[in-house]
Amino acid sequence: MKNYLLKIFCFLVITSTQAQEQIHQTFKDSRVINAHSVETLRKGILDFRVTHRFGDVGGGWPTFYGLETASDVFIGFDYGLTDKMMVGISRTKGSGPLRQNINSFVKLKVATQEIKGTNPFSLSILGSMSFSTMQSSPIPSDLNFFEKSVHRFSYHLGVLIASRLSERIAMQVAGSWTYRNIVEANDKNDLPSLGVVFKYQFSKAFGLIVDATFAFSEFRSNEVNRDDSKRFHSPIGVGFEWETGGGHVFQINLTNASGIMETDYIPYTTSSWTDGGYRLGFTISRQFKL
Amino acid sequence: MKRFYITFLAATFILCASLVSPLDTFDTTTRVSKVLDILGDKGPDHYPDTKKFGVSAERGRNIVMNGFSTRPGGGKTRRQSKHFLCTSCHNLEQEDPVLKYNDPQERLLYTSKKGLPFLQATTLYGAVNRVSFYNGDYEKKYGDLVIAARNDIRGAIQLCATECAQGRKLKSWELESILAYLWTIDLKMGDLQLSEDELKIINKSIRNRTMKDSAIQIIKSKYLDGSQAHFGSAQASIEAGKNLEGNPDNGQLVYENSCLHCHKDRRYSYLLLDDSKMTFKHLANKAAGYSKHSIYQVVRYGVFSKSGKHSYMPQYTMEKMSDQQLEDLRSYIDLRAE
Repeated sequence: MKNYLLKIFCFLVITSTQAQEQIHQTFKDSRVINAHSVETLRKGILDFRVTHRFGDVGGGWPTFYGLETASDVFIGFDYGLTDKMMVGISRTKGSGPLRQNINSFVKLKVATQEIKGTNPFSLSILGSMSFSTMQSSPIPSDLNFFEKSVHRFSYHLGVLIASRLSERIAMQVAGSWTYRNIVEANDKNDLPSLGVVFKYQFSKAFGLIVDATFAFSEFRSNEVNRDDSKRFHSPIGVGFEWETGGGHVFQINLTNASGIMETDYIPYTTSSWTDGGYRLGFTISRQFKL
Repeated sequence: MKRFYITFLAATFILCASLVSPLDTFDTTTRVSKVLDILGDKGPDHYPDTKKFGVSAERGRNIVMNGFSTRPGGGKTRRQSKHFLCTSCHNLEQEDPVLKYNDPQERLLYTSKKGLPFLQATTLYGAVNRVSFYNGDYEKKYGDLVIAARNDIRGAIQLCATECAQGRKLKSWELESILAYLWTIDLKMGDLQLSEDELKIINKSIRNRTMKDSAIQIIKSKYLDGSQAHFGSAQASIEAGKNLEGNPDNGQLVYENSCLHCHKDRRYSYLLLDDSKMTFKHLANKAAGYSKHSIYQVVRYGVFSKSGKHSYMPQYTMEKMSDQQLEDLRSYIDLRAE
């Protein structure tokens, strides 16, 4: 098994270093709605990002269809250490039980799709961590009781595989593992999931993006609300993406995920598309050369 | 024995005389500046101050090609510019087949044959042989800044560093190092394509120290001592294009050697250009309209720096890309967009 994995790794490293013409932009941005894409920033590029998720559209007139509330807000900086490796740090309001989060991540592009070469896909590895800075609750049953300070930490590891199938169509699948140091009584710390991303490019600058993540969790399958409705839902988003030039990408989307970070929206999406539990969101990304 | 001494002394004298005497002939690798110097034309003071601590042609080469070098005291220098290298806009080899002519089409074919890009700025090959810089309409773009640069290569390099490359001012040893490097790519006599008669006149002039002015005139007539620069206008190029028929094959050369030099893999620009139909459709759709994304505006005006985003694209002067070439580019884009 070890030899097999070693061979795969060697193949990826060798193919990534061979001088074939490579596809450098499977996706326009390093994120697709909530999920990370395989893309990494180029060396020396600083990306300032602001992501916003409004409240439920189902909130109706009192919340102006969610526009007067914010379920989550992300403000962060990403930076390209090399052409194949980027890091990021951010603050999110948080939408799940753990809030006021400081997040960091590192993403490594291991393989890049080649146009006429042997490698038909791009592969990146993502590792992220969230630290909740919220005040401890006095109630021991609350997740934010934080008996130990390590309970404030959550982690996420993902292997992202993407391919540009044609000039217009690109797809990505991601196998991920999310680990939270503190969870509800019947939940498990480990949470494996599968992410799927689809992009259709209408024109050079304008495209449709879809992003869905399916968590494999018995707890999530069985948990119901007081009205016997399903408590947890798979986060699914659909949106549009504009490249407005000069290193500026704008995304606008609708998603039932209220959180933005992987450690938030994968375990804690509790709103559903079917009952108005989706919201408008946007991301502004502005890149600078340092 | 006495005869031997006399012969030995005579041979020694001849040998010494030949060593100390100035050049009495030249070959294709002889510097043009050296021949002019012997003929009495000292030329402008473009010589580097090599006594300055840290000055070296190798460091200059590194700054030109990589944007940074090793510090004289050790360690790496800060990048001169985070946006561009000298080679973003300048070639380092001869780019005109005949140095005395400034013909963009001849240059396109010549650079393409040599595998060089087709760029906005004049090659640095032979830069030290020129006497004027930022000529013509560059005054419109840089205003009074060209005063310090027009007749001074050091001023020109600094202007290029701070304005064109949007980078930091070069330190004194860096500037002199760049000059030292530029002297490794100065014009050689073989580049001038002299006729047999012209060679005879120059050789004779060097040997006999006669007709120096004629020899100097012949040599200087073989290359341009500055690059003329006339800015065009997008509207004028669009109007001119209406009476021109585009050649897509030539347009492909312009696209690949010019546009893709900076935009392929987003090398120097955020805008990715590639060989996809979607890219050509995008360019074709924007070409006709009055938009800053139209190739006519981009080529003739460039793209300007914005607050907080200093990278930009310099424009092509009429001497660097003709209206015919622009129309060729458009015909190639239209063809690929179909």
